[in-house]
Amino acid sequence: MQYRHVQTIDGKGALHGIAVDGHGRGEIYAACVAEIKVFDAAGKLVRRWPTSRPAQSVAVAGDGAVYAGELGQIEIFDGAGKLRDTWRDDKLLRRVTAIGFTGDSVLAGDSADRAIRRFDRRGRFLNDIGKDNPLGGLLIPNGVVDFGVDGQGIVHAANPGKHRVERYAPGGELLGHIGRFDGIDPAGFTGCCNPTNVAIRDAIYTTEKAGPRVKAYDFGGKLLAVIATDLFDANCKNMSIAVDSRGRVYVVDTVKQTILVFERVSA
Amino acid sequence: MSENPTRRDIFATVARGTVLAVLGGGAGFLVKKANGQVVWQVDVSRCVNSRLGDLGVEACNLCTTECVVALSAVRAVNEYSKCGRCNICPAYFNIASAVNELGQPSEKLCPRDAIARRPIGKVDPEDPANNFYEYVIDEEKCDGCGKCVMKCKEPLGLGSITLRVRYDRCVNCNRCSISKACPQDALKQLPIGQALQPVGVKRPG
Repeated sequence: MQYRHVQTIDGKGALHGIAVDGHGRGEIYAACVAEIKVFDAAGKLVRRWPTSRPAQSVAVAGDGAVYAGELGQIEIFDGAGKLRDTWRDDKLLRRVTAIGFTGDSVLAGDSADRAIRRFDRRGRFLNDIGKDNPLGGLLIPNGVVDFGVDGQGIVHAANPGKHRVERYAPGGELLGHIGRFDGIDPAGFTGCCNPTNVAIRDAIYTTEKAGPRVKAYDFGGKLLAVIATDLFDANCKNMSIAVDSRGRVYVVDTVKQTILVFERVSA
Repeated sequence: MSENPTRRDIFATVARGTVLAVLGGGAGFLVKKANGQVVWQVDVSRCVNSRLGDLGVEACNLCTTECVVALSAVRAVNEYSKCGRCNICPAYFNIASAVNELGQPSEKLCPRDAIARRPIGKVDPEDPANNFYEYVIDEEKCDGCGKCVMKCKEPLGLGSITLRVRYDRCVNCNRCSISKACPQDALKQLPIGQALQPVGVKRPG
């Protein structure tokens, strides 16, 4: 499988997490220093609105609600940026670096506690994911918890200190993992702690730091493609990744503050 | 001196003042040095091994080769509060070496084997990846070559290892021979209180 770089979107300032909408409109949502930005498929900034605290991550729910992961809270907006609700919890939501949805629950990656929190849709805490192990959480020396959710509701969490992407049931049970350390074979993850970020669609998509690399794996852990390596600034880390319904892959260059878009090349 | 000084008088006065100022400054420096108040230290934001942004270059080992002290007065120092305690530490392992049966790099990075690695906390003997590890630098072996520093810096590592002058070894030359050779001008004379403070690495400029 091969990919080609088809577009670079100017992030108009610092970018943290990105997400794509699930409605096929091709809109790209970006969590920035103190705001959410929305770009259309052509890369034009079409909407932006402030967050009350620094935004670390963003996700778009099936009903179009936009969840912004912040320091100490999650803010929930409608698609136009009107604030609907705020879930504030200085203990469970200290630094929300990823948000996702599974069934009728909302998942939030809290990097301060190295765990994924599961809430119901009204914001009531249900359980932790990734915390029930001898290390007391995911190993994230890179400082970011990231995960994706597949069509069956299984949570795929990056565990960079273990060089793995781990599979969890929504209740927190560890189901298995893909990935291993290897500094030579591109099928492995190199460095101290990779992959840093993950996205799930038809495959498991990962980003790595030092040097920056974007890859796709099947759900059994077989490397499908090295999507990109040398297009990013070498100092990039924690490159947020999203994949839309057409299979286009969006990756943040955290140094140049751009979003690079990749498209699968037909066989 | 007459009420209307000649140019010679003025020059003589200025010259005397200049000499006194130079002597005074030098004496002040010597007094400070004698009191141990001014010492040489590595500015980690200038040192190419720790300075952010310099990637893909060989580690600089001038601190090893230029110091007048045997084995150098400069050592790699691990600031534990910043260390990620990783399973695969790029400053300990040569991460570009082949993977062994434990799933780890088969080679160590340090040419003098000066870094010790041991699991800490509750140890999982089944899965090495399920442990935190402590990395301790043996200063009797370390010669400050900087290889581990280069591999520890962000984004590959967390920048917890930096090169530091050790004052039990440094003879505090008037003009540090490393500073003469360092192309980054990374050796600085600092008041000792300032020199002992932990210094964060930042991007230059």
